[in-house]
Amino acid sequence: MKSSFPKQFMAKGLALFGVWLVLSGRYDLFHLIIGFIVACGVAWLNTGYSHAAFQQFPWVRSVLYVPWLFLRIVQSSLHLTKLILTRSLPIHPKLISYRSHLQHQGAIVLLANSVTLTPGTITVELNGNHLLVHAIDEVAAEDLTSGRMERKIAGVFQQEAKR
Amino acid sequence: MVILAIAFILVGLFFLVVAAIGTLRLPDVFTRSHAVSLTDSLGAFCVLFGLSLYQGFGINMLKILVVLGLLFLLNPVIAHATLRAAYRVGVKPKAEEDA
Repeated sequence: MKSSFPKQFMAKGLALFGVWLVLSGRYDLFHLIIGFIVACGVAWLNTGYSHAAFQQFPWVRSVLYVPWLFLRIVQSSLHLTKLILTRSLPIHPKLISYRSHLQHQGAIVLLANSVTLTPGTITVELNGNHLLVHAIDEVAAEDLTSGRMERKIAGVFQQEAKR
Repeated sequence: MVILAIAFILVGLFFLVVAAIGTLRLPDVFTRSHAVSLTDSLGAFCVLFGLSLYQGFGINMLKILVVLGLLFLLNPVIAHATLRAAYRVGVKPKAEEDA
């Protein structure tokens, strides 16, 4: 279901205007009008270009994914801190080539971004559903190689990810 | 509130220092970028969250939280772009390929 032009324009305009309201912090008529015009202009320029990754993206359910990801980020940060502060620097960097089974473009983007956001693993290349991930050691890469992160994202996307 | 804010900022500074040490100690671009990603995930998060607590509820807290959100969206993109550029140009990581 592709969202129509006016709907998309409204959503983007409102979001941008919200950011303006928060960042400007002034609520006199002049600033409100300027912000409204700029938000509309930017929204108008950017409407119509809708990447496949954003179609049918489950925004609401992906919010539930954030706390889990945050917990993983904290855990792997502590692991990385321990690695860096150890005198002998016990790192085993390696490139992992990983083929994802996720169908939805947005799901793969979310996976690649989550991998990069987690300290200790960074997505180097993303080609279709093929990820090249650089990991600092086995432990940091475990979430990805065990498929745990992918299963979590498949849960967020439910029907699209099955197969 | 203020004590909590200071605690958060100190924890954040600790992680920033660790990230700086890591950037100096690790051997190549790829591993160093891991240390840098430690900066934005926990370091900047704790510092900014501590600052927003220090400000108390209000417009400034909202502003800092917006910046925090943008940071979390933008940093993986930057890290990925840097490493992809390095990889494509032909910088070889000190690592073994693994299937």
